[in-house]
Amino acid sequence: MIIRQGLFIGTCVFVAVLCELTLLSRLGIPGATPDLVVVTVVAIAFAMGPLQGATAGFAAGVLLDLSPSSDTLLGVNAIIYLVIGFVAGFWIDPRDRTLPIMIGITALSTGAAALGTAIVDTALGGDRVNWVEVPWITLSSALYGVLLSALIIPLIARISRPFLPEISFS
Amino acid sequence: MLSRRTRIILSILVVASLTFVILDLRGGDGPFSSARAAVSSIIGGIQRGAATIFSPITGSSEWWSTQVSQSGQIRELTIENERLNSALVSAQNDIARADQLDELLRVASVGRYRVTPAEVIAVGPVQDFAWTVTIDAGSLDGLEEDMTVINGDGLVGRVLKVYNSTSTVVLIVDPESSVGGRVAGSQEIGIVSGTGRQNSLEFQLLDPLGEVNQGDAVVTFGSKSGRPYAPGLPIGEVVDVTGTAGQLARIATVKPFANVSQLSVVGVVVKPPREDPRDSVLPNPSVATASATPTPTPSSSNEKETAATPAPSGN
Repeated sequence: MIIRQGLFIGTCVFVAVLCELTLLSRLGIPGATPDLVVVTVVAIAFAMGPLQGATAGFAAGVLLDLSPSSDTLLGVNAIIYLVIGFVAGFWIDPRDRTLPIMIGITALSTGAAALGTAIVDTALGGDRVNWVEVPWITLSSALYGVLLSALIIPLIARISRPFLPEISFS
Repeated sequence: MLSRRTRIILSILVVASLTFVILDLRGGDGPFSSARAAVSSIIGGIQRGAATIFSPITGSSEWWSTQVSQSGQIRELTIENERLNSALVSAQNDIARADQLDELLRVASVGRYRVTPAEVIAVGPVQDFAWTVTIDAGSLDGLEEDMTVINGDGLVGRVLKVYNSTSTVVLIVDPESSVGGRVAGSQEIGIVSGTGRQNSLEFQLLDPLGEVNQGDAVVTFGSKSGRPYAPGLPIGEVVDVTGTAGQLARIATVKPFANVSQLSVVGVVVKPPREDPRDSVLPNPSVATASATPTPTPSSSNEKETAATPAPSGN
């Protein structure tokens, strides 16, 4: 079960990273790049639980940091996505899993990911972040999060059904 | 609240990512260079395939803007078309002149830079605040770190990391990028640094009294043995100058010639020119002196000239 879950998470994360780097970031859309990776991580957290969300976040962050065309410090995205995946899975109320609420949480997550990257990068002494642009990037990232999550969350929920954990966290 | 197993796995993951950050902060060829190389050789290959599949979508570069403002564009284009039609006749003359200038420029530049062409296959997300792209050429194509990357419009960036079949390129607009620049006309030198915005660079003159005006072109100053930047490549055009002459920090805003957000085919300068082509696009001063010196001509050359002139007139 654990192996099958791991394979499922790994495949989802891999496809998301690939799509984000080769397709979404090249569309020339104004503002931030639509953050498919964070949306996927949050969708996994909703469908499978906080631990799976955190693992997916960690894997996605490491993959994104290691893949070419990214020049970030290894581990920065990993820790941000890990926290996001865990928090999203932990705070979603099992009795209130309506799509609008899940979309709202995803939008907050994508915004938080953009803001978090800026904060961590600045805190670690990088001078790349242009703080004038940060509000706009955060806002547009949240907006694209809404659009993507309406599609991705039902999709992940559908295809993850055979891989759901038998023991839920308590 | 959480099960013991969950807590253990979570803390392992947190400790692992913090360790990664701390180890990678040391910079240089850290312990992760081999991991990066392995991952990028796998992902790079897949990215190449994915880029081909997605090329109908990404290839239409103005996809977004056309979606947004199609009707406005049609109106603008109609007006522009009328204006262009009337301007066409007078433009014929200019085109002929421009062709000659093109010829001159080509003579000056082609053959001096040896360029390996490559295509951009992936772009780093905006949220990373790093302006980096992946190209589909690597060490197998003869690329090395710190090589200059150009496209048809001008300087694009430099090679940051090289893997087997892909490389990462840091663009000139990246906030950590700085290029030695020279104003094409006045030869003033300075430093062109990225701002993180795709259409503006900062050009800081070394000489506070230096002459720089709106519309001046800025070219690369060149580095030792052409790494990381080959000399004489066009960077951009000065669009704004802040601060008056003599002020300590005179900063000009430069608009890069290359549109870095819509890159497709780029060239990597594998071999820089043997000498700096600094003045080759300007009228050559050596020609002027050569034609000036023969004025006190000896009689022999005069005779040759007079002997040579009747021949064409006779024909």
